[in-house]
Amino acid sequence: MRAYQDMVFSTAARLTGNESCAEDIAQDAFVKAYENFSHLRSSPTAGGWLKTVTTNLALNYLTRHRKRWRLLSEFNAPTEDDAQPELQFPLPDTLLADLDQEQRRSVIDQALKRLPDHQRVPLVLYHFEELSYEEIAARLHVSLAKVKTDIRRARMALLPMLESRGIAP
Amino acid sequence: MNELPEKSDPLEQLLDRTLRPLPLRRAPPALQSRVLEELQRRAVLPWWRRSFAHWPSAARAGFVLVCLVLVGVVFLGGGWAAAAVQSLHASGALSPSSARQALAIMTVAAELATLFARAVPSAWIYAGLGAGAVLYAALFGLGAAAYRTLYLSPAKGR
Repeated sequence: MRAYQDMVFSTAARLTGNESCAEDIAQDAFVKAYENFSHLRSSPTAGGWLKTVTTNLALNYLTRHRKRWRLLSEFNAPTEDDAQPELQFPLPDTLLADLDQEQRRSVIDQALKRLPDHQRVPLVLYHFEELSYEEIAARLHVSLAKVKTDIRRARMALLPMLESRGIAP
Repeated sequence: MNELPEKSDPLEQLLDRTLRPLPLRRAPPALQSRVLEELQRRAVLPWWRRSFAHWPSAARAGFVLVCLVLVGVVFLGGGWAAAAVQSLHASGALSPSSARQALAIMTVAAELATLFARAVPSAWIYAGLGAGAVLYAALFGLGAAAYRTLYLSPAKGR
């Protein structure tokens, strides 16, 4: 459990944006792992199994407990303008370059928390869980175009948050 | 919609470089003890308070059997109840008017159920179930549309 607890907690915390819920989800994930211990003990893919279970638990939590109606309508609502927003300024080469890894993680986690669920969840699935757009669309039961638009908007929202920390290059 | 190839998006590349190498968040120190406490709590639960998948095989089989019996009782209960009312009436335990009313209701219900089972083709039953599901979905959709139109739109202002 020690080998995987940070990974499980990180996955849940980034998806839900809430530490206490992430702790509950991590607990559930490890209880499930214990129930399947006989299969996982010798499995080389135990880490992947735990990550998948944690992701599913977090998505279930978001669907079930967190503003169910709002989440559904946000995930499925046709966007007012589906055209992807364009950058109006040049991009820096790096972000948060003058911070150490731990400080950078903290700043980014705070910024992620400020994103709405329907933007944070696909962004985290793409950039942290390394799912493809198609896989995210299938997991969230939304269209591919919606996933791309939400991720693009999440990036656009995240960028000024990270730069406004005064740490932009 | 912008159809640029995904990996040519400089913003995506920038965030990829920023986010992917991030260290994991440290799990709370209490997580391990919480998990162990939960496992201990579950271990001492009697079997009937665990999830169905963890019941003993005999208990699961018994539960399924009881459910089947209950379903049978529900379907056959009308006839049994009518017979019971008749016997009560015959023994004088029920007043004639109460017995007549109870018998009439049960007879009508039983006959309707029999007629329904015999007369309605199974395709109609499936179609009815399908129509019910469609109506349920339509009601859900109407509710969601009303929620979004009446509640979300004015406040959203986007």
